[in-house]
Amino acid sequence: MTKALSWLLAGRREAATHLLLAPAALWLLFMLVIPALGMVALSFATNGPYGVIQWTFTLENYQRAFHPKYLPVLLRTLGFAGSATAICLLLGYPLAYYLSFRAGKWRNALLVGLMIPFWSSCLVAFYSWMIVLGKEGMLNNVLIHFGFLSQPIGFLYSPFAILLGLVYFYLPFTVLPLYASLEKVPRSYIEAAYDLGASRWTAFFKVTLPLSMPGVIAGCLLTFIPCLGDFLTAEILGGPRYYLLGNLISNQFLMAQDWPFGAALTSLLLVGLVAGLWTYQRWEESL
Amino acid sequence: MSDRLSRRGFLKAAVLAPLLPAFLAACRRADNAKVVNFFNWSNYIGKDTLADFKKKTGVEVRYDLFADEEEMFAKIRAGARGYDLIVVGDYLIPRFQSLNLIDPVPSGALKNMGNLYARYRRPSYDPAETTVPYLWGTTGIAYNKKKLKSPPTSWWDLWDPKYKDRVSMLDNVRDCISVAMQLLKIPQTTRDPQDFQKIRELLVKQKPLVKQYSSSSYLNSLVAGEIDLAMTWSGDLFQAARDNPDLDYVLPKEGTYMWVDCLAMLRGSRHREDTLRLIDFLLEPEVGASIANFVRYPSPNEKAYPLVDASLRKDPRVYPTPAVLKTLSLHHTLDSEQSELWNQTWADVKVA
Amino acid sequence: MKKGKVLSGYIAALYGFLYIPLIVMFVFSFNDARRNVVWRGFTLKWYRVLFNDAELMGAMLSSLELAAAAALLSAGLGLLASYAMVRHKPFTGRRGYAALLNVPLMMPEVALGVGLLSFLVRAGFELDFGALACAHALICLPYTVAAIKARLKSIGDANLEDAAMDLGATEWQAFCKVTFPLAMPAIVSGSLLAFTVSFEDFVTSFFLAPIGVVTMPIKIYSMMKFGVTPEINALSVCLLGATLLLVGLNAWLASRAGDSPLA
Repeated sequence: MTKALSWLLAGRREAATHLLLAPAALWLLFMLVIPALGMVALSFATNGPYGVIQWTFTLENYQRAFHPKYLPVLLRTLGFAGSATAICLLLGYPLAYYLSFRAGKWRNALLVGLMIPFWSSCLVAFYSWMIVLGKEGMLNNVLIHFGFLSQPIGFLYSPFAILLGLVYFYLPFTVLPLYASLEKVPRSYIEAAYDLGASRWTAFFKVTLPLSMPGVIAGCLLTFIPCLGDFLTAEILGGPRYYLLGNLISNQFLMAQDWPFGAALTSLLLVGLVAGLWTYQRWEESL
Repeated sequence: MSDRLSRRGFLKAAVLAPLLPAFLAACRRADNAKVVNFFNWSNYIGKDTLADFKKKTGVEVRYDLFADEEEMFAKIRAGARGYDLIVVGDYLIPRFQSLNLIDPVPSGALKNMGNLYARYRRPSYDPAETTVPYLWGTTGIAYNKKKLKSPPTSWWDLWDPKYKDRVSMLDNVRDCISVAMQLLKIPQTTRDPQDFQKIRELLVKQKPLVKQYSSSSYLNSLVAGEIDLAMTWSGDLFQAARDNPDLDYVLPKEGTYMWVDCLAMLRGSRHREDTLRLIDFLLEPEVGASIANFVRYPSPNEKAYPLVDASLRKDPRVYPTPAVLKTLSLHHTLDSEQSELWNQTWADVKVA
Repeated sequence: MKKGKVLSGYIAALYGFLYIPLIVMFVFSFNDARRNVVWRGFTLKWYRVLFNDAELMGAMLSSLELAAAAALLSAGLGLLASYAMVRHKPFTGRRGYAALLNVPLMMPEVALGVGLLSFLVRAGFELDFGALACAHALICLPYTVAAIKARLKSIGDANLEDAAMDLGATEWQAFCKVTFPLAMPAIVSGSLLAFTVSFEDFVTSFFLAPIGVVTMPIKIYSMMKFGVTPEINALSVCLLGATLLLVGLNAWLASRAGDSPLA
């Protein structure tokens, strides 16, 4: 038994590697690849009367997808996802740094504490934000009471609200990979930098930050990619002028009942993202 | 030592994990009992209706929830089966039918069908009467009495720049396009692309004033004072008004439409007999009245009307006066070409 | 050490930001209103309602079971795949494999829900709790892989396993005594992320939920139309209280045993 396990772990034979890869591969095949291929097939079908799908080949869905009216939606989505990722990174890096270098005995508590707010529905959290940020909410009331404002500010259903929602919900997904990679930075390197006369900041910028880059990239990916497809945040927090790609795609499946067009948009998004990821992986390996 | 412990624990858990769902599923498979699987909005039924039904017939109703009709439709369209009974809006019925998803209620199978008002029998959206009307309502304007100097009277008020950022519109093709058509005096039967161009322009023009396109969360915004004016479905607003007595409802002077939520049996139901019994039960006068009392929507059930709370019955916002009722009509039942035009126009408004 | 104070102050502010909604949620679980957006006075009734609400408790249990199953499944799958990717010789197609593991993140949720449901139904699989858990394991997989892979890489870089084997350990022994314990923090944090992702998920759950299974997000989203009552807050408060209790207990036990539970 343990011999077999050792054989599996040693990976001197390809068969062992394949055996370890197989379970996740099966999962991906059945739960992801086949449904995704189904989407690709659907994207070439025709939307018939009342949204009944007709399996006659057409490229029309793709032609429609490249209509310039969708360009602002794409740019807006990239803008929101990009800014949310950048804010998460700026807010999260010091936290990850603190967790790794300073937290000491508080580290575990802080790590778990980072996840706990998300163990209730994000909708509940949103309602709480609404109580705080609403026109008649706490923040406006306080600001008006102390004379900082004469009119309440409409924080909700604005770009600010969407960014707040995205940052709030994706922050842990940025912080944890950052933390993991900061943990890997050998403390001796930093001490060596100090010994060589580097200041705190120099040591940070010349040693710690470069060594944590894999975590920065992983954290950004885990935030940016889901932000691109996110539709509930914009649906609940955003106003009508902040229509994002995720909303566009889900509306094809729900309200417009135009599944082939939704499938075409999905396929384009997947192709774009996989190509991006592939390039990134090549680049990572070439380092 | 502790490493080994945690390792063992983890391995055990890893082995058991795939079995857990199967085990739980096995526990749940007590399907031999008599059940009806009912797919509906949350709280869209009387408080004790299902318990009473079980007491009376011994049939248990499993009440599954959806948050949005279109999501429900997409789920069933994608192939989810096993639901026996769904609540569905009149405008979706032709779509369900075109995909052959509805199992028609056999005529004569329901002894309480006659309890309904005549105007809900053989309706235009379902002339063959394959479904059964459940509750109905109107589309109108909700507003905050304290925040508005004068109550709104017209759909045009939703286009008034002085209410910028205080307005919400239902996120629904049927209602928004209908209102635009009404304001532009375009008949719902149109297929003229120029008409739809005008409709689109009118709705896009309104967009900078609108705070939310929403069919559910706007009610919270109304209660919280985030918005003061909203296109709404009657009963939803009355439920919200329980939490903010300043909210009121008007039917605009241009007139408006009524809609009907229906009970439909899904194709492939394995509990046909009991499902029919449940529908018949929901049509009983006492039951219909208790549902109407709880959800604050008017019931299409004529025999139930006298049993409905007087406060609701006498409220012309809930049960419009006969004079108003005469002016209310159902939405035109769209054929596939029209429905495509409507959907496309609304999609373009959202993207614009 | 002024700098240290600035950083600590910042961390406190950040946690403050994260916990604002929780504090509000706690306070408003005592709100005497049906639609929980405006304060209407103090009451304890929602806790009473909660303890008599079998339906809501059932939804909570379903969600917990689902998240636990999804976290364990995705951690197991992620561990095996990561190990082969990091520790074995480079295999053909590794780039595609690694990219594919991230695709669940990119798939728009509604498209995944519709596609997966159509496929499972057409292929004749019965939609049950197991299928739902498997789908959740899929959407959690990128998170566990990301966490575990990074950790295994750093363990490999330190050559500790090789050292163990030089001393005569078999691969299996080296794995059990060295690699696995060292990877444990990553497995735990990956599972925590997975648990969170699954527990929050609405769209995939809605499409794949079998008859009779209502998870918390489904329940809460469906309440949006007729009002999310403070009962939901009360439930969240209870859940968070229980979590904090468990975490505290764990930390206390660990501090007595002299080793840390997570890291």
